[in-house]
Amino acid sequence: MADKQYDDGYMHYAFYSGCCFQGADARFFEILEKVFDKVDVKIHLIDDAVCCGAGVIEERSELTSLAINARNMASAERMGLPFYTPCSTCFNVISNVQKRLGEDKKLFKQVNEILAEDDMEYKGECKITHTLWMLAQDVGLEKLKERITNPLNGLRVASYYGCHTRNPGDIQNYESSDNPTSLEDILKVLGVEIVDYDTRNDCCGYHLVWPNNKLSLKMTGDVLKGAQKKDVDLMVTSCPLCFKNLDGLQNKAVAATGGDFQLPVLFLPELVGLACGMSPKEMKLEWHGVPVNVRL
Amino acid sequence: MTEKITPVREKILSNIRIQRFTPGKDRSPYFDNFKMEVETGMTILEVLRHIKNTQDSSLTFRAFCRSSICGSCALRVNNKTVLACSTQLMPILKDFGKATVTITPMANLPIIRDLVVDIDPVIEKLAKMHPYLVENKDRVPETLEKESLMSQEELEAFGLMTDCILCGSCYSACSAVKADSNYAGPLTIAKAYRFSVDPRDDFRGMRFQAAMDQGLWSCVQCRKCIKVCPKDTRPADSIRDMRRISIDAGIHDSPGSRRAKAYTDDVERIGQVNKPMLPVIVHGTKGWAAIEAAEAGLKKHGMEPTRQVCSLPGQSGAAKIYAKVREIEGKKKGGKTNG
Amino acid sequence: MLTYDVLIVGSGGAGLYAALKSRMEEDLRVAVLTKVYPTRSHTSAAQGGVNAALANKDPTDTWEQHWFDTVKGSDYLADQDAAELLCREAPEVIREMEHWGCPFDRTTEGKIAQRPFGGASKPRACHAADKIGHVMLHTLYEQGLRHGVDYFNEWLTISLLHDGKRCQGVNALDTRTGKLHTIQAKAVILATGGYGRIYWNRTSNAYGNTGDGLAIAYRAGLPLKDMEFVQFHPTGLRRTGILMSEGARGEGGFLLNGLGERFMTRYAPEKMELGPRDLVSRAIETEVRQGRGGPEGEVFLDLTHLGKEKIAERLPQIRQLCIDFEGVDPIEEPIPIKPTAHYSMGGIHTDINGLTSIEGVYAAGESGCVSVHGANRLGGNSLLDILVFGRRAGNHALEYARSVELPSMPKDILASAETRIKSLMEGESEEKLADIRRDMANIMANKAGIYRNAADLTEAVEDLVELKARYKRLKVKDKCKVFNTELVAALELENMLDLAEVVAKGALERTESRGAHSREDFPERDDKSWLVHTVATRGSDERPVLHFDPVTITRFQPEARTY
Repeated sequence: MADKQYDDGYMHYAFYSGCCFQGADARFFEILEKVFDKVDVKIHLIDDAVCCGAGVIEERSELTSLAINARNMASAERMGLPFYTPCSTCFNVISNVQKRLGEDKKLFKQVNEILAEDDMEYKGECKITHTLWMLAQDVGLEKLKERITNPLNGLRVASYYGCHTRNPGDIQNYESSDNPTSLEDILKVLGVEIVDYDTRNDCCGYHLVWPNNKLSLKMTGDVLKGAQKKDVDLMVTSCPLCFKNLDGLQNKAVAATGGDFQLPVLFLPELVGLACGMSPKEMKLEWHGVPVNVRL
Repeated sequence: MTEKITPVREKILSNIRIQRFTPGKDRSPYFDNFKMEVETGMTILEVLRHIKNTQDSSLTFRAFCRSSICGSCALRVNNKTVLACSTQLMPILKDFGKATVTITPMANLPIIRDLVVDIDPVIEKLAKMHPYLVENKDRVPETLEKESLMSQEELEAFGLMTDCILCGSCYSACSAVKADSNYAGPLTIAKAYRFSVDPRDDFRGMRFQAAMDQGLWSCVQCRKCIKVCPKDTRPADSIRDMRRISIDAGIHDSPGSRRAKAYTDDVERIGQVNKPMLPVIVHGTKGWAAIEAAEAGLKKHGMEPTRQVCSLPGQSGAAKIYAKVREIEGKKKGGKTNG
Repeated sequence: MLTYDVLIVGSGGAGLYAALKSRMEEDLRVAVLTKVYPTRSHTSAAQGGVNAALANKDPTDTWEQHWFDTVKGSDYLADQDAAELLCREAPEVIREMEHWGCPFDRTTEGKIAQRPFGGASKPRACHAADKIGHVMLHTLYEQGLRHGVDYFNEWLTISLLHDGKRCQGVNALDTRTGKLHTIQAKAVILATGGYGRIYWNRTSNAYGNTGDGLAIAYRAGLPLKDMEFVQFHPTGLRRTGILMSEGARGEGGFLLNGLGERFMTRYAPEKMELGPRDLVSRAIETEVRQGRGGPEGEVFLDLTHLGKEKIAERLPQIRQLCIDFEGVDPIEEPIPIKPTAHYSMGGIHTDINGLTSIEGVYAAGESGCVSVHGANRLGGNSLLDILVFGRRAGNHALEYARSVELPSMPKDILASAETRIKSLMEGESEEKLADIRRDMANIMANKAGIYRNAADLTEAVEDLVELKARYKRLKVKDKCKVFNTELVAALELENMLDLAEVVAKGALERTESRGAHSREDFPERDDKSWLVHTVATRGSDERPVLHFDPVTITRFQPEARTY
């Protein structure tokens, strides 16, 4: 997907960070850059983007959500680069806006009239992708394999997509949404053993943290419990919001569901970094809520 | 010119793995395997009927119209809730790359027998939402001399939801119902929304209350209901809409509505959500403890906490968009703004 | 014992309208007993529209013109007093539905939108996209919830109870528990839909359209009327019988036989694929009978020459139907189709209030025959029928129930139902339900279907007697009481066998061609001998006995039916 304006052997992406990398998670800006560098990917922050609203703004004004996200995509279009976001919810919300505007010419026109207020234009050409497909398809499993210097053989891993790269199925056409394999494909290249578990397709409850905290913790706890039952070494998720709940709120969630365990959870880029030879220190694993005390 | 037509029919010898349960006989559900040749064109329902007619007449499932309008035959195929009648098996076998397929009853509902579940819990929850039109005397004439007048545009505001066939697929797929069986489920809230935006109706206040009581803010927006809905009614979108009109109607005092306000206002004000302060904004003063705990965590790693994240460069552009949208929506609502 | 003032059997449009009407004033106890859940009923499958001379689209439309269209469409077999009521009351029932929230499409002035329909002289079909039946059914169900109608879901009615003069109630099977119950009722309204399933897989009807109400009434001594009239639609999908609407042919689709020939040149060289339904159905049947069908006795509706873009843009729903139900993408290959039984004009003989010969017993909708459809139903009139006559039956039953005390019930009233279930459930047998059902369907499709003649029909009648004898030996293999779908299917099959026999017998006796009844050996309509209703009762040997009643003609003298 490398754009012609760069001729440096790297693939370049317009990087939409979303607003999940605040506070302690701000470390991920640096981590992503480092990890992607290992696989010849460069990400360029879309610096005039704003938060996608996580679908929550639609609870106040749908048109606002459509317009600010059309604007976000328009910014990437100006950069002439594919739109990459590490956040599954950003991916979901923005892809959905793209789909809506693609299907409804009237709405497309109306939104562009709104964007004209800010001298912006959304053309509808923006290609949106996520870590999963950037790695599994753009970089490709072959190249990824070449860059592995520290294969994580023997590690028993529960893979977890979360909801927003999968539901509904029509927001992406990279792979089957009923039977996605990109995450497992990547993990297999890293050398780990993938363990199936009952709650693999369940929702982590992140988006209920504020409206219904109790229910959110119950959902998080249930997902963790399913994986823990299978005696895995760790969970890996491709979604940074799922990561927040599964790791950051794990102690509370496990307690809320009557459990008593700790299960390390990694955000996918972290594990890729480790397999590419970066140290736990470089990945700042000590920042995790649940100690990552497995051999990596 | 003419040429004999020979339809291409692929065939795969398959293993159909079906969950069975007979009350009074089985302690818990188990699986039976049926071997059969699946060919292009076969729906899940045809497969089930074939097994019932030729292999095991006691196999129990519901089916009626077999044209995806009655909603009887919802069940799960490889864990995804579908209508058996409108789901082709061959593409699923190919998607999963296996000759085995697993058929189970809908989730989140008690099993009556084999693939038949009790859908009364859904109907009971639906009934509590006042899922019917109560005539708005300003719009609906007293006598049958005339129909009420309504524009096509007014109709289209809820037209999508009238496609709902009460099959329960969304309920089966719902993450929140799975975690909390008291939650009303997607279709019931969507139905409440459908009537609440019908200009001929005069009962929306009661429905807001019913929706609040049954978990309007428990939907996690996982979007699974949108994925499985066989009629593309987009229940999760209707839930957002129901939240929106309840806030518009002045129901502000829930954590969810406060979150909605914070997100919306923050993006306009600084281009992103000021997450450090969310606990207090959503939960009031009892949120301070959470803020302090988070700050202590940051300090531990040598980071200086902030209670006000920076304004993003995109903010000024976004604010222009907000203003324009407000202008458009204000016109539409006859002067009422959304803010 | 469960006791109701008014009990409605069947939860389609007619049943739910009747229930709502009798419950509106909330003084009577009203229940709907249905073998499915109310919103599953087959009313939901009606796509096109419901007729009413609202004159919203064409201000010159009148109910009288609708009346004439209905009578003409019926090939003059409709009773004109009944058809008059149908058309006169149409605007009112539509408005009532609208006031209850039914989401009809709208005109630019905000009125109910109307569109032209086959056989109608004015655009008067009210619509809601392509789901008018679905939204009507749901509207009625919703209002039923509001007004406190009780529902017995997944109960199968086994028999109608009366003392020879007045109604006593029904015996019914709660399929959840497998228990039999008697429900005492002052009035029973049978509204169980049509009997298209006697053709089993060659029908667009739901699995459950097995004519239960008709068979129950017939076995209880009530007469059935005009049963030989079954409307076929030429283009149903091969596997399921699901309809491919005329739209596909309207956009330029070709009908090809198995040899790839555009065979309509032989039958309607001018109109080709757009000839009338019955003619196209017969043409398809002829091709298949003469060995020019596809490998499975189908012909093909070919859209491939229209090209990907036109199909995707103009016929997206038809394309999706083919992909979902047949596994065929019409962009890439021709769609396999067969003519499919679509609507049953015949039904329980009633008067204009839905009342039968037994006081307190009513029938309405497709299970009743007033008759408004005669030999051929006009498009858009089936939904209207269920509204107008569901309402009339509900209103009449309400007044009746208010005026009488509960009927007395003999002690052993459940015994015959118990015996019937027991005889099916106990013991083993070589006979298989699916085999008998398939044989019935083949007899009906091949000998009493689109083409009919004396020799075939005589055979059909004999074959069905034999099949009924085989049925008597049938045992249900599934012995579990809970949700026994095999038992339900066996009971439905018994109903269908009785009705199939009446259909075949009526078709044999009626030596003319009229509307949907087409005799190869008597190709003309014969008003001199056959401007009469066929009325069938069950004889002492359990075989149908026919007599013929005059048709009520009030205004329109029969003319040739040409369009």
